[in-house]
Amino acid sequence: MKDVIIQGLQQAYQNLVHMLAEFLPRLLVMLVIVFVGLLVAYVLKTVLRALLHVTRLDRLSEEAGASRFLRMAALPSMTELLSRSLFWVTWSGFILIGISVLGVAGLQEQIARLFLLLPAIFVAILILFVGLVTANFLSRAALLAAVNAGYPSPKIVSWSIRFVIWALAIAMALEVVGVARQTVIAAFSIIFGAFMLGLAIAFGFGGQDLAREFLERNLKEKKREKREEPLPL
Amino acid sequence: MAEETFLEDDFLRQLMSVGEVDLLVGIPSYNNAATMGQTVETIEESFQQNFVRDRVVILNVDGGSSDDTRNVLLQRNERRNGGHRGLTSLRTVHRVSWTYGSAPSSGLAVRTILAAADLLRAKSCAIISPTAGNLTPSWVANLLRPIYRERFDYLAPLYARNKFQGLLARNLLYPMSRAVFGYRIRELYSDEWGFSGRLASQCLDQDVWHEEAVQTRPEAWMGVTAISAELNCCQYFLGQKAAPGSGAGTDIVEAIRQAVGSLFWCLEKYESQWLNRAGSQTVPTFGPDHELCEESPPTNPEKFFAMFRSGVNELEPLLASILTRDTHAQVKAIALLDADKFRFANELWVRTLYEFAGSYHHEVLNRDHLVQSVVPLYRGLLYSFLMQHANSSADEMEADAEQLGLEFERQKPYLVERWKGEKLR
Repeated sequence: MKDVIIQGLQQAYQNLVHMLAEFLPRLLVMLVIVFVGLLVAYVLKTVLRALLHVTRLDRLSEEAGASRFLRMAALPSMTELLSRSLFWVTWSGFILIGISVLGVAGLQEQIARLFLLLPAIFVAILILFVGLVTANFLSRAALLAAVNAGYPSPKIVSWSIRFVIWALAIAMALEVVGVARQTVIAAFSIIFGAFMLGLAIAFGFGGQDLAREFLERNLKEKKREKREEPLPL
Repeated sequence: MAEETFLEDDFLRQLMSVGEVDLLVGIPSYNNAATMGQTVETIEESFQQNFVRDRVVILNVDGGSSDDTRNVLLQRNERRNGGHRGLTSLRTVHRVSWTYGSAPSSGLAVRTILAAADLLRAKSCAIISPTAGNLTPSWVANLLRPIYRERFDYLAPLYARNKFQGLLARNLLYPMSRAVFGYRIRELYSDEWGFSGRLASQCLDQDVWHEEAVQTRPEAWMGVTAISAELNCCQYFLGQKAAPGSGAGTDIVEAIRQAVGSLFWCLEKYESQWLNRAGSQTVPTFGPDHELCEESPPTNPEKFFAMFRSGVNELEPLLASILTRDTHAQVKAIALLDADKFRFANELWVRTLYEFAGSYHHEVLNRDHLVQSVVPLYRGLLYSFLMQHANSSADEMEADAEQLGLEFERQKPYLVERWKGEKLR
């Protein structure tokens, strides 16, 4: 009985030593990978930040009005946001590689799936950024055109354009990441379709008088109005 | 020759068959078959009356007309009945026509004319619009002669104008360009102007032809180039300016986008020439330097005030990023006044424009959007001007225009300060 217990303890001790002997080098490898990842991510962040400074992305973002939204959301500048995103995406990738080296059963598959998502997340962030910049630029252009042409409610025109582009960008980003793909497509189609149908109904039925007035003013009176304005040059 | 590869071989062959010339008249065209014949006849008549012994060419550059514009120019019979003195030209009046593209572009048309003038070594050149309804032989001669005989390099036209026409030029373009560049040239933005072969070569050598400002308003850029290079500039009174039937000159928004955008771009391009320049000087002027004709004011000016008020309200975030807090507050305050008490003071108008120019320089937002934001404010000024001068005489209006010019000059240090300073935040 005593021998069996001692033998069991010895076996357990040997297993523990064996496990540690197998695990510690892997842990060391993981730490090395994480550390190297940190260095690589830092270098990439620095290079990207320098490149974006050269290409004057912040000025572009400022012009397009995207910076205002970043400030409203207490986010850093566009250059800083993108370079930090690259840092975290890169380092997260290395951390996941490091964890997979540990060889913990069950984690492998999850990590592999997560790892496959990283590029998609980065693409989704880019899509959202482009959507933000485009929405701001086009909505401002529409606002100016509507104000200068003397159309009623120019802000509604501007916000409609912003809303449509945002909705499109968000739907595209979610589709790229693969989050509830079918639901996103269906939701986008319903929202966009409902929005357009709503506008058509509102303009055609609810605002018949407004529609008539709008068309008459634009088609019939435009020439007369133009003549009323003194020649600028 | 600058830009040797720019002109196509067929066009070069046509120009070479003409040989060297003394005078060149360029006519940019696009679907102008209806008026082209009369324009060519008038130019030829001017040659026969005024430049009998000189080598001359009429050059039409066309933007891809779908009508018969080019054929009208080439097939119109040459007039041989001479002028009032019975003189006829001793030389052939050459006519050359070339299609530079499938869509009209002022910049490309002028560039083609300059390149041809450079190749033909023309001493004096003029550009004339085929839509100029009241073109006379003397107009053509007056555009060419001072450059040919008196060695000027740039000639701007002067026109007799109706009291309430050309108000953007009178309230913004002229006084601001006068204060900034230091020369009192009234019509930098016009369809007719004259220039020397020397100025043509200098302009051709510049790598700016892709710029929007040069593409849309090449005449203003040529004028500012001549001023900045301190070439000899003059003005010539031509007569009554005809109202254009259509185009950028008739629409306020388009005119501001092009003309004010071009002026701000010239500020950027030539900043080293104007930043240290103070005051303004007159340029030699042939004939009166202004003439205003009686005209009843536009009906329904209240609409401009309503559009000004709406613009100030709707564009508040944009104006806040362009103007200083104090100026923006003052603009918002006058937008709240009753229409009959509304006045856009010269001092505020000038400060507002200088802040726009500074913000354009610092690119606080897309430059085209920034320039478009001037439109509602200009409408406010327009309303104020119409209210103030509904019953004014021509002399009173001219005196007021001079006051505005002096105000622009007085506040120029503020423009320099905004230009050199940090962007507004």
